[in-house]
Amino acid sequence: MPERRFALEIRQRTSWQQQGAILAAAVLTGVLISTAILALAGVSPADLLKEFVVQTFFDKQNLQAVLFQAAPMIMIGLAASLAFRVRFWNLGLEGQMIWGAIGATAISIFQVGPETTRLPLMFMAAAAAGLAWVALPAALKLRLGVNEIISTLMLNYLASNFLLHLVYGAWKDTRTAFPHSPQFRAFERLPEFAPGFSVAILLGTAIALAVWWLTDVSRGGLYMRFIHANPRVAEAVGVPVRRMLLAAVLVSGALAGIAGFVVAAGQEGRLTQGFFQGYGFSGILIAFLARNNPLAAAAVAVLVAALFVTGRSLQVFYQVPFSMVQLIQAIIVICAAGSEFFIRHRVRRIAPA
Amino acid sequence: MNLVLHWLASTPDFAVPYALAALGLIVCERAGVLALGAEGLMLVGALAGVGAQLTFGNSALSLLAAALAAGVVSILFATMVIVLRINQVISGLALVFFCQGLTSLLGTAFGWENHTFAGLGTLALRQNAMVYLTVPVFFAVAFVLSNSALGLRLRAVGENPQAADAAGISVPRYRFAAVLVGSAIVGLAGGYLSVVSTKLWVDGMTAGRGWIAVGLVIFARWSPWRALAGALLFGCIEALIPQLAAAGVRLPQYFVFMTPYAVTLAVMIWAGLASTTGRRSGGEPGALGEPFVREERR
Repeated sequence: MPERRFALEIRQRTSWQQQGAILAAAVLTGVLISTAILALAGVSPADLLKEFVVQTFFDKQNLQAVLFQAAPMIMIGLAASLAFRVRFWNLGLEGQMIWGAIGATAISIFQVGPETTRLPLMFMAAAAAGLAWVALPAALKLRLGVNEIISTLMLNYLASNFLLHLVYGAWKDTRTAFPHSPQFRAFERLPEFAPGFSVAILLGTAIALAVWWLTDVSRGGLYMRFIHANPRVAEAVGVPVRRMLLAAVLVSGALAGIAGFVVAAGQEGRLTQGFFQGYGFSGILIAFLARNNPLAAAAVAVLVAALFVTGRSLQVFYQVPFSMVQLIQAIIVICAAGSEFFIRHRVRRIAPA
Repeated sequence: MNLVLHWLASTPDFAVPYALAALGLIVCERAGVLALGAEGLMLVGALAGVGAQLTFGNSALSLLAAALAAGVVSILFATMVIVLRINQVISGLALVFFCQGLTSLLGTAFGWENHTFAGLGTLALRQNAMVYLTVPVFFAVAFVLSNSALGLRLRAVGENPQAADAAGISVPRYRFAAVLVGSAIVGLAGGYLSVVSTKLWVDGMTAGRGWIAVGLVIFARWSPWRALAGALLFGCIEALIPQLAAAGVRLPQYFVFMTPYAVTLAVMIWAGLASTTGRRSGGEPGALGEPFVREERR
C-alpha cells in the first residue's frame, strides 16, 4: 500500500520556476508517449522530428500555414479562458463558432451593405451570432441553475445539424456537387498584409492584447479573479457576480463566433460542413495549459496550430488519421493535469523502520 | 395502428443504451465522482464489442468485452481523479477526447469499420435478450444501492466522505470500485449500441448519447428508476423518427436529427424550473465532484 512507504506533504509554496519545470516535464512526458504511439502507427521519431520541428518552423511555407491556423486557434483559446475565468464551462465553443460562420456567410449571401463595409459587417454579424448562441446557456445557468456543460454541448449538436441543413439545402453552391456555400467574393475575404500572411493573425494578436487588458488591467479583470477564487465571497464583498459572469461568457461566445468568421472568410472562403471540428477541445486545452492567461494562451495556440498543421501532413504523407491529433491533445492534457498534483504535493519516501 | 405497434416494439432497443449508461453513471456519481467521460467510455465499449464480435462471433462474449474494456480504460480516469486529485471536469473531458481519438485510430487500424454481422436474435415480443436482461440489472443495482450495507457505504462516501472516513470506510477504495463498476456498465451500454442495436462500428457512433445520459442522470436526480423512465422517454423519441419516415411523413431531416439533443435541453430546463420553484430538489450527492483529502489542510 502506498501510504505505508510514501508520505504526501502539501507544498506550502512552490516557486514559479519549480512550477514551470514540473509542467514542462509533464508536457514532455506527454510528447514522449505520443511519439511512441506515432512510432507504433508507422511514423519513426526521426521522421516526426523532420515533419514537426524542421518542416513546421523552419520552412517558410509551413510557417505561413501555422500562423494561418494560429489565428482562429488564438481566438478560440481566448474564448475558453475567458469563460473558465468565471468558472463557466463553455463547451459550446464549436457551436458558437458555427453560428459565427453562419452569421458572416449570411451577410455575404444576402449582400448586406456596400463592398467597403462588407468585411466589417461580416465580422460584427459573426460576433453577434456567437454571442447570441451562448446567451441561452448563460441565462439558463444564472436563472435556473441548468448545468452549462450539458446545455452548451447539446447546443453544439443543434448548431452542427443546422449547419448541415444550410450547406445541403438553401445555401448549397449549385455550381459544385460538394456541400458548401458559394465562394465569397474577393472583398469578402480577409486580405493579406504581406505576401502569404493573412491579416487574421494581426486580428488574433490585437484581440489577445485586448483580452489581456480586460483580464489583467481593467476593473472587470479584478472582479473575475474574485469570482474565480470564490463566487460567494466575491458576492459578499460587493462584486457584481452575476453581471460579470454574464459579460465574460457573452464575450467568450462572441470571440468563438469571430473564430468562425476567421475560418470562413480567411481559410475556406466559404461556409463548409466540418470546418469547426477539433476546435472545441483545442480551446479547452489552450486555456488549461495557459492557466487562462490571455498572452500565454496566444503562445500555446501557435503550438496547437503547429500540431494541427503537422497532423494534416501526417495524414497526407503517412496515412495517419487526423484523430491522432485529438489523441495527442488528450494525452498532453492528462499529463499536464497530473503535474498539478506534483506542484501541490511533495511525495516523500519513508525509510522502512 | 400498425405504426404505433412498430413504434412501441422498437422503443426498448433505443432505450437500453441510455438506461445502462445512466445506471453506470449513477453508481459512479453516488460515490461522489462526477463522471463526464460516459461518451468516451461508450465508444470504447462499442469498439471493443465489435472487435470481439468480429473475432469470436459470440454476442455474449462481445458484450462482456465491451464492459471489460471500458472498465480497464476507466482505471486511467480513476487514477486521475482519486489518486492525483485532478479536477473532475477536466479529467472527464480529457477522457472523452482520449477515447474518441483512440477508438477512431484503433477502428481504422484493425479495419473494423463498416463490417456488418448477425448479432443477437429476438425473443418474445420482438425483443432481444439484452432488453430482458436490463430489467434485472436495474433491480440488482437499485437494490444494492438503497438496501445493502455496501450501497449505504458507497452513498456515505459520496455524501460525506469525511464522516465515512471517520467511520472506517476507505473512501479511495470505494470510489475506485464505483468508477470501475460504473464504467463497465457504461461500456456495456456502448457495446449494446454497436453489437446488438446497429450491428456495426462507425467512428463516433455514440453521437452524444453519453452526454445525453449525463443530462439524464441530473434530470433523474440520481435515482435509477427515474433514470429508467427518462431512458424510455428518449427511446420513444428516437424510435419515432424511423417510424415517421416509414409512414411517409416528410420532415427536414437535419431538424429531425436535432430532436434528442433538443429534448435533452428541454428536460434540463424542466428540471431547473422544478428545482427553482422548490417543488423538487436535492438528490445530488453532497460531495459530487470534490476530491477527498484526508486530514490535510487545504
